[in-house]
Amino acid sequence: MSISDLEHAVDPNLGAADHPPQKSSGWVVFFCFMIGLVGSLIVGWFLFPQWLYSEKHQPIDFNHSIHMDNVSDGCNSCHFFREDGTFSGIPDLSACTDCHQDVIGSDPEEEKFVTEYVAQDKEVQWLSYFRQPDCVFFSHAAHVTGAGMSCESCHGDIGYSTHSKVYQENIISGYSRDIWGYSISRFGKPGEHDGKPMKMNDCAKCHLEETGSKGACFQCHK
Amino acid sequence: MKIDRRKFLAGFSACVGGGAVGSMLSPLPWKVMDDVAIWTQNWPWTPVPQDGRYSYVQSVCALCPGGCGISVRKVKSRAVKIEGLKDHPAGNGGLCPLGLSGLQYLYGPARVKSPLKRVGKRGEGKWQPISWDAAISEVSQKLNELRARNKPHSLAWISGENKGILAGLIDRFLKVYGSPNVLRDSTAHDAIDQAAYHTQGQRGTVFWDIENADFILSFGAGLMDGGWPLARMNGFPKSADGGKTLIQVEARLSDTAAKADLWVAANPGTEGVLALGIAHVMIRELIYNIDFINRQASGFEDGVMGGDQVLQGFKSMVLEKYKPEKVSGITGVPVDAIFDIARRFAKSDKAVAVCGRGHGRVAGCMDEALAVHYLNALKGNIHQPGGVFVVADPDYVRFPEPGMDKIAEYGLGQTRVDGAQSEKFPNSRYLLHRLPEIINTADGDSPVQALLVSGANPLYTIPDGKSVKKSFDKIPFIASFSPFMDETAVYSDVILPDHTYLECYRDIVSQGSMDGIVVSLAKPVVRPLYNTSHLGDVIIQIAKALGGYIETAFAWKSYESLLEETFADNWETITSSGYIRMNPQIPGTVATSFNTPSKKFEFNINAGAPEAPFSSAFEKIAMEGDAQNYPLTLIPYDSIRLAGNYPANPPFMTKIIDDTVLKKTHGCIEINPATAKQLRLSEGDAVKLSTPRGEADVQIHLYEGVMPGVIALPRGLGHTAYSEEWGLYGKGVNVNDLMGPIEDPVSGFNMAWGIRAKLTKI
Amino acid sequence: MKESATHETARRYGMVIDLDKCTGCGACMVSCYAENNVPFKKDESNKLDSINWIRVVKMTNQKPYPDTQICYLPMPCMQCDGVGKHGHSPCVSVCPAVATDYDFTTGIVSQIYTRCFGCRYCMAACPYHARKFNWWDPVWPADMEKYLSPNVSPRMRGVVEKCSFCFHRYQLARDKAYQEERAELEENEYQPACVEACPVKAMTFGDLNNPAHAVYELKNHKHAFRLLERLETNPKVYYISSKEWVRRNGDNYLPDEAPGRLKSKAKARH
Repeated sequence: MSISDLEHAVDPNLGAADHPPQKSSGWVVFFCFMIGLVGSLIVGWFLFPQWLYSEKHQPIDFNHSIHMDNVSDGCNSCHFFREDGTFSGIPDLSACTDCHQDVIGSDPEEEKFVTEYVAQDKEVQWLSYFRQPDCVFFSHAAHVTGAGMSCESCHGDIGYSTHSKVYQENIISGYSRDIWGYSISRFGKPGEHDGKPMKMNDCAKCHLEETGSKGACFQCHK
Repeated sequence: MKIDRRKFLAGFSACVGGGAVGSMLSPLPWKVMDDVAIWTQNWPWTPVPQDGRYSYVQSVCALCPGGCGISVRKVKSRAVKIEGLKDHPAGNGGLCPLGLSGLQYLYGPARVKSPLKRVGKRGEGKWQPISWDAAISEVSQKLNELRARNKPHSLAWISGENKGILAGLIDRFLKVYGSPNVLRDSTAHDAIDQAAYHTQGQRGTVFWDIENADFILSFGAGLMDGGWPLARMNGFPKSADGGKTLIQVEARLSDTAAKADLWVAANPGTEGVLALGIAHVMIRELIYNIDFINRQASGFEDGVMGGDQVLQGFKSMVLEKYKPEKVSGITGVPVDAIFDIARRFAKSDKAVAVCGRGHGRVAGCMDEALAVHYLNALKGNIHQPGGVFVVADPDYVRFPEPGMDKIAEYGLGQTRVDGAQSEKFPNSRYLLHRLPEIINTADGDSPVQALLVSGANPLYTIPDGKSVKKSFDKIPFIASFSPFMDETAVYSDVILPDHTYLECYRDIVSQGSMDGIVVSLAKPVVRPLYNTSHLGDVIIQIAKALGGYIETAFAWKSYESLLEETFADNWETITSSGYIRMNPQIPGTVATSFNTPSKKFEFNINAGAPEAPFSSAFEKIAMEGDAQNYPLTLIPYDSIRLAGNYPANPPFMTKIIDDTVLKKTHGCIEINPATAKQLRLSEGDAVKLSTPRGEADVQIHLYEGVMPGVIALPRGLGHTAYSEEWGLYGKGVNVNDLMGPIEDPVSGFNMAWGIRAKLTKI
Repeated sequence: MKESATHETARRYGMVIDLDKCTGCGACMVSCYAENNVPFKKDESNKLDSINWIRVVKMTNQKPYPDTQICYLPMPCMQCDGVGKHGHSPCVSVCPAVATDYDFTTGIVSQIYTRCFGCRYCMAACPYHARKFNWWDPVWPADMEKYLSPNVSPRMRGVVEKCSFCFHRYQLARDKAYQEERAELEENEYQPACVEACPVKAMTFGDLNNPAHAVYELKNHKHAFRLLERLETNPKVYYISSKEWVRRNGDNYLPDEAPGRLKSKAKARH
């Protein structure tokens, strides 16, 4: 509103008649509205997700599949439970050096691993697709040992992948895209081979379905 | 088409509106909101402790002589928590707040991270990091120079390591170097051990079998105020499910007195007189152990010295001089109470009398130590379960006799700088508190030309801080081996930082029990964090640099190899179980164990025998200052929440100090409300505390539990070193600065239990 | 006390502290700091902003020398069950952010730091001053961050924190039980750090509903009492003291009121 508009508004003697009648500009408004709408939908649905995640690559392109063929106890062989019931997560270098003291295959990634990490006794800084914030306590034992769930039911078939997928890091929160899920809208279900999203609501939903209660805060927080 | 201003605005608004609607229909705002929420919950400066495999390392605490077992929880290579080690004989699974805070020393800001050489003035805090080779040559050059000047005896080493291999190495080093001056702080144990020597002829360490006793008569010992092995706290205090009877004689309601069945508020400094009053009642009522006294004691009855002279015995001396009425007058304890305590003590099945004020930091008066020891003899509990034992020190540290050159022999022939082991004080091993005065009053050069300090912080702990500093100024060379930037390290010329007890092997000798003395092995819980080096290895290195006989005497490869060699057959046991026991006690072996001329327990009193250690004129332990100018009596007190000795309180312990002890940077002084009223002082008043030795600003705290006319300050505050982030810097008052030592005429030990003082309102 | 609650609480973990035994050494406090990543500041003498999950309060009988007595009172979070044991503890019922809740499987009151926005209603509501506010971001100087435990999340400025009865220890004990294919925990498997650290064993911890646990009997000791019982906050921390003046300090009593009598009144109402 301009100052003159304001004058009109406050002075009843100044009527609309003082201005020439307006030609309808509805189509302009509509057109502009649509530009804004379509533009923002494109931004929101297509550009924003691209901008939100920066892509990182694992230090070593890890081939889960080839390892699965060579171990006896499936995922458990490397991602095992310790005696005290805690879960070991991503293995340390020491777990790898049993086999990979020297190069045993022909994969250039393995050679890189042996020369750059094993030979120098340097831990690999793996990027964890499923790392939760520090406030979260997650008991693998309760789910795997207690409830008898399989690894795949949350992590998908990552164990059969031949290459490490690109790690997409949320540039605001710093967490992996896998936590939220690949569908930015979270509509629909994740693909059969994908991991499940792991936001708090996802946990609560499953808990409600399986145990009849979302659980108390301390069940999953520390 | 003409786009006028109105149309433009309409179109623009529509575009914004469309954008808004479109955004709302896209995931963008919701997702951003969620991500921002997560971002705000995970600030980059809030640490995220890394998880990993949990493990436990069993070791032993070295922060006080208690030597309690510890279990250190680790996550991967990080140590995250220290807990008590169940089933370890010292501590018995318990740990005091100091032991629990151990990791703050390890990872804290007070660490010395590499060898340092002073570049500014002494105490200025300007340092230059140097290599270990350079640091060792700094020391060895100075030591070589002293030997070249034929003054090896002007080297002194103040050592906190009292027993075990490190102590053995230090003793051996000074011996082959040619100095008699190993100096160690004397504690109440030294006085008690000497009392046992005078009466039983046995050299060793006294321990009271509190574990098996059912009645403890404590003359001021802070059994529940820390400084004593924590195992002793178990079984105390009395509660619904049992416990021991404890009578605490003390002028201030300490935590021990609070837990006692009976708190006997005797005038400070007269506790020993009360012991004699109790002895009087026991003798008069014939409720002492007549069998033991008749068969195993001498000097109890009057004796004939030759001619007509009668040598007064303990019995008639006590009956004559320590009548309950008189004792009551001196101690302020009612006559009835004296009778009552004596009868209860005498009639208990397994009773023991103990002494040593608070943590036992001050050696104390020989008369008092003897009075309490006599009480135990009257009870007949010497070498009986629940009584008093003298345990020979463990002798597992056996080095071959070293060869010595002429300079060393000359130096060793000189008298000790502190006067201990001299003609005057033949039975006292160390008299550290005498050092400052001796240096300050020496003609010409200081008798100490080079001072090495390890495991001790003399600039903080020796009484009369001002004169200590003055004497240190006269010592041309001071080297510290402290892992922490303590007061003495700050004031030294070169620091050769030791590992902490959590980073290396070390043998720790705990106090004894019936089952023997416990020798535990401290193990490296984590790899050394900084460029530090084990004191044992450094001694070996310095010896190498000095060459000759000294080098030959230290021909070991490293401390660790020496450790393994020393324990030999026991190495397996001590590494697997963490400790071994030595010299177990066989109760009741009294007759064979007394090593006096009479082969009996000797009541060694000086009526007619001036060389005897006990003075029958004993009434009240002397105190400095005149009542005219200083109407109040200042007593230091020990608290389990304050590490009063070495090293200083860690932040966790400072956090649990009550705000009635420390308020911001002000130390609080405890005063009885009645006394405060007389002085027109009220809670929180800022006052100046003056003693003949110094003055300090303190804050008034009214405490009903302190005797009228007495004011009490805690030990362990008033530090002027460590890092500022350590949280103790410049807080409160170091009570050692306000008190001077008082020499016991028999032992030379410091027996100052208090000092005259006054308070003036600021 | 009637044990059948209107709302089923499977386990009710609680504590019985024998004040006759407590020497006031402070080991419980330090053990708690180390266990729960409790920070420290340069100055901790202002006890209003000093963060403690358990604090040992010194009480005296106010009598003149030498009849003075002192008693130490260790005060963790009382883990109130609330009136009728509905889990309506004073703090839970006022939190606008659901940052604190009552767990019906253990009876433990949680505090979720990332959820808390620092309004401090809970602090105002708690009659035991069990809750502490982070006025500053915690700082661990030098290498001290290395001793932080991964089991308890370090807090940030602007949130409230409090004792959790070392809930992470419960979680770890449960993990171990899963690994060993056990459904129930042994009494000694889950003990808070303070209880474990007490050198005189003044503190006993366990499930107040479980007759096999020591606390089940101890809470009915003739000298047992709770703090501010007439508020009916239903704390799960009990104290035992043989001294009447100590029991009297546990609540506000009229001069002619004996602490025992009041307790029985509160009992009858349940």
